[in-house]
Amino acid sequence: MSAAHAMPTHFRQKKNLEWIKHLVVIGVLCIELLPFYMMLQISVKDNTTFIQNPWLPPNPWIPDQSAHADIDTSSWRWSNYDYGIRLIAPYVANTVFVAVLSASGTLFFAIMGAYFFARYKMPFSSVLWGLFLFLMLMPGIANIVPLFSLLKGMHLLNTLWALIIVHMSGGQVFNMFVLRHFMEDIPKDFFEAAEMDGATHFQQIRHIVIPMCAAIIGTLSIFIFIGSWNEYLLPLIVLRDKELFTLGVGLIYLDGEYVKRWGLIMSAFFVASVPLIIIFLFCMKLFVRGLSSGAIKG
Amino acid sequence: MANPNLQGNVRREWRLYLFVLPSLFLVCTFAYFPAASALYHSFFDWSGGDTKEFIGWGNFERAFADEIFWKSFIVIFTLVLANIVKLIPSITVAVLIHRMKSDSAQYFYRVMVVVPMIVPHIVILFIWKFFFDPNLGILNNLLDFTRLKTLLVWLDQQFGWEVFYADVPIGWLSTPELIVPSLIFWGFPWIGAVGVLIYLAGLQNIDRELYEASEIDGAGPFQQFFYIEFPLILTQVRLTMILLIISTLQGYGQQFLLLGENGGPARAGLTPGLWMFNRAFFNGEFGYACSLGLLLFFVILVLTWVNNKYVRVDK
Repeated sequence: MSAAHAMPTHFRQKKNLEWIKHLVVIGVLCIELLPFYMMLQISVKDNTTFIQNPWLPPNPWIPDQSAHADIDTSSWRWSNYDYGIRLIAPYVANTVFVAVLSASGTLFFAIMGAYFFARYKMPFSSVLWGLFLFLMLMPGIANIVPLFSLLKGMHLLNTLWALIIVHMSGGQVFNMFVLRHFMEDIPKDFFEAAEMDGATHFQQIRHIVIPMCAAIIGTLSIFIFIGSWNEYLLPLIVLRDKELFTLGVGLIYLDGEYVKRWGLIMSAFFVASVPLIIIFLFCMKLFVRGLSSGAIKG
Repeated sequence: MANPNLQGNVRREWRLYLFVLPSLFLVCTFAYFPAASALYHSFFDWSGGDTKEFIGWGNFERAFADEIFWKSFIVIFTLVLANIVKLIPSITVAVLIHRMKSDSAQYFYRVMVVVPMIVPHIVILFIWKFFFDPNLGILNNLLDFTRLKTLLVWLDQQFGWEVFYADVPIGWLSTPELIVPSLIFWGFPWIGAVGVLIYLAGLQNIDRELYEASEIDGAGPFQQFFYIEFPLILTQVRLTMILLIISTLQGYGQQFLLLGENGGPARAGLTPGLWMFNRAFFNGEFGYACSLGLLLFFVILVLTWVNNKYVRVDK
């Protein structure tokens, strides 16, 4: 990454080209972020306000000009959020439960598996590795129907554990693949020194692997977290009870169930994004830097 | 990698095998077993319960005669082609950010590219569904506001599409002819956060002497792109392309949420994956769905293989 900082000074292009780049990138990003903006500004409107003024947030400084004196189109309807939070908070709680357990479970087993492949070359380890890699190239599309009947047979339908265990197994290959590369870069001396002192393999993982691979483990856990946050197809076929709904299913039902009151719906959408926004604010570096470095190694 | 103490290792370190066992167990139970089960059940008339009837190649014969299934491949291949073209904005933005002089501006734009990732996919899907809404949607609003709709109506009259009319709101997701174009337009301007960051990482590995040498030779910004940047990030482009093709071919979530389980009116947006999903979970034909999934699986496998063999990049 150090090259990144030195590079740009070496472009000796004419100065006047510089603002064109900024203009193009800003323009593209504005359109890209438009859905986000629309979500935020509609979330404080009701349908009447929205029809009168679709583009801008309600403006409290201009007095209400509408003919209907009983509808105040200039104020921000924060009450939409009462509805949004009440509706979405249980789903958020379920999703956080699934996402946290999926991320920690996946990484716990993937770190152990990667340690096996990275530490020694054991008999059959290349065969086993091939078994895992083959899965990475295999399209998973045919699996969903038998997976459903397997979960049914294990009496896991309509439980959150079904989602967690499927996420955990689905994440093994990719995470092991990335972690193995990072573990192989750890100098062998560390392990040998630890072994001299009589450290067990678990102790070596805990005191050498985890500290040395902390950044990539953080990035991967964010990935898994976002992955389970975004999922909706598996929860849709697995979950039946409203109390167990994760965000994906909850929002699908919200889309189908109500007369479209967009202000309320958009406020629910925003509440659904809040946990990811919090993670993003605290782990921006892991997002931006980790993503690029992880991508190269992988 | 050859280890002289292999035998000694095995005797001393056999416990290490226990480390890989949980992963192996998970993968076998929830990935390999369902795959084998799909293969097995594709030869049965099975509705998800305990009773099933062996029908040999019946499901496959039915699939080959299933016009809806084959028509869905036309839809999905159109979307795959469109998605490949839709990589261009990400590459362009990555190159532009990479060429900026100020480090802090580069970092700022990188963060801004990642920001859409904090909104759940499903929320973005529904916001776009709202954009496409005929009455309240932003897209029709924008077309009316900019008078572009008159142009569309005029074009319609010239070419006889019979899709756009002056007084009727455009039903982007309810007119069969407009469904595939709407799906393609979906997500404009098509910036993929992961894609941009991968390209940027690739661009950073380019030796800066190459730029200096090309400037001495009088290469302009476009020539620098085609002769230096693009060839050197081809590995990254190819990686994202393969992942994109595989995920598009398997995809049906977007179509399901935007258009419903039938892929919209006249099944215009039905993808093979959605047809499989529809047969299994809306019609109870699990055995038939397994065979559809397997056929799709083989199509993807063949395409991946072709891609690996012929779209080779010299490093």
